[in-house]
Amino acid sequence: MIRFEQVSKRYSNGHQGLDNLSFHIRTGEMVFITGHSGAGKSTLLKLIMCMERPSSGAVHVGGQNLRDLGSDDIPYLRRQVGVVFQNHQLLFDRTVFDNVALPLIINGTPSDEVGRRVRAALDKVGLLSKENSYPIALSGGEQQRVGIARAVVHKPALLLADEPTGNLDPELSAEIMGLFEDFNRVGVTVIIASHDLPLIARLHHRTLTLDQGRLLADGES
Amino acid sequence: MSANKPTQPARRKAPSGAARSQRNWRHPLRSWLGSHRTSALQALERVRHYPFSSAMTILVMTIALALPMGLSVLINQVKQLGVNWQEAAQISVYLADSVSAEQQQTLTEQVGQLAGVASAQLLDKDLALAEFQQHAGMGDALLQLDYNPLPSVIVVTPKSIEGGAAALEPLRDRLVALDGVDQVQIDLLWVERLSAILAMFERFAGGLAVLLIIALLLVMANTIRLAIESRREEILVIKLVGGTDAFVRRPFLYIGVLYGLLAGLLAWVLLALGLAWLNVTVERVAALYQSDFALFGMPFTDGLALVFGAMLLGLAGAWLAVGQHVRAIEPQ
Repeated sequence: MIRFEQVSKRYSNGHQGLDNLSFHIRTGEMVFITGHSGAGKSTLLKLIMCMERPSSGAVHVGGQNLRDLGSDDIPYLRRQVGVVFQNHQLLFDRTVFDNVALPLIINGTPSDEVGRRVRAALDKVGLLSKENSYPIALSGGEQQRVGIARAVVHKPALLLADEPTGNLDPELSAEIMGLFEDFNRVGVTVIIASHDLPLIARLHHRTLTLDQGRLLADGES
Repeated sequence: MSANKPTQPARRKAPSGAARSQRNWRHPLRSWLGSHRTSALQALERVRHYPFSSAMTILVMTIALALPMGLSVLINQVKQLGVNWQEAAQISVYLADSVSAEQQQTLTEQVGQLAGVASAQLLDKDLALAEFQQHAGMGDALLQLDYNPLPSVIVVTPKSIEGGAAALEPLRDRLVALDGVDQVQIDLLWVERLSAILAMFERFAGGLAVLLIIALLLVMANTIRLAIESRREEILVIKLVGGTDAFVRRPFLYIGVLYGLLAGLLAWVLLALGLAWLNVTVERVAALYQSDFALFGMPFTDGLALVFGAMLLGLAGAWLAVGQHVRAIEPQ
């Protein structure tokens, strides 16, 4: 599903985001990316999303070398991926329903289907009753779950999460991770960048440990 | 949420069955139309949410549209008047006193058959006196005289006055050469003056239109730039979840078209009212000049062209802004 071949990313300010990184994540895997802040976790996710381009090396997503994607193709790549951000990236002037519906609106899903799928996604994260609320009225954990509903509403094959439990207490964090495991169980490839080592250790999934852009360890933690 | 059907990224699951494939070709069109409808509604929504700033922009656009359009409509109407005058542009062929009434008739027929002559009409001295008294308001002076000082005249309407008096020279020479003709007078000066003045005003209106259209485009582009900035977060999120540039652009382009439409309609109303208001005084002036000239208001086709042009300008101005700014907003 995802293959990095000797990928390096050096930023224009001289910071080395990734340094000669190679790994392979197969379809249906659930993988944690961990390491200190600045180790390259976010850079790795951004390369998969085509928010950044590698300085050298090749990134393959779903058999496609991302180098071959023009800027006009990038939106179509992103539609195949669901992303959950630490800061949720919700639109505060729209209801929960409209936030979650956004990916479906963008890919032109017929409106009757939009309603059905948005409610299914909200039901899955336990927020069906909040569809008409505005994000501002929700707790941090609820906002994060809205973000997750938005990331999965269009049934992506690949789910990325960048510090999805960053601001949440341990109990909520475990709950969120449980959601990701549910999606993985039904076949979605899940990649989670997180530095919550105790939580990761409890879950027993493959973990890539980065340090200063290099792969330090690859295995079940 | 049941994400239990993993699909290959960058590739959609192949459709199966006839019903499915039928929906498949209809679906892109429907979703494209749906997206346009959503964008148009968003544009309306923006006007509703920001009524004051929208109104300001629309009013500035209205004025920028109404000024050159109003001038152009006025010039066109005065030109219509000019056409009437052109028809009346005449060559006066004064006949010698010695020519008898019968000879006058033959002479008139002769003149009427000359090349370049549209019509020739005899105005004998009695008729001429009557007309003079009736129209020019100077009859009183003539009444003081106990004889008619006016000569008989053949009034010649040339086929064309293009090229001015110089082009009519050959015709004039032929007329002078006719027996019994005393004097030939071509009076085109005022027609030429009028057309020169009109040409000047036309050029002025044209220059003004160019400047105001540029101003309108800039106002529109600036409004859209602000709208884009105010929705920066939203654009970032849309791009992150796979929205194309076209998808992001669309609502802003609709705002441009909508503002153009409203400004165009408003300018139309403004011009219609303005011309009616002006007409009151124009009619009074015209009456003093013994003319029944009146402005005929804002022509419908001009109004339509105004609204359509305003929509195009709104779109163009919005396009200027989105082309630059939407691409610049990229998730980092």
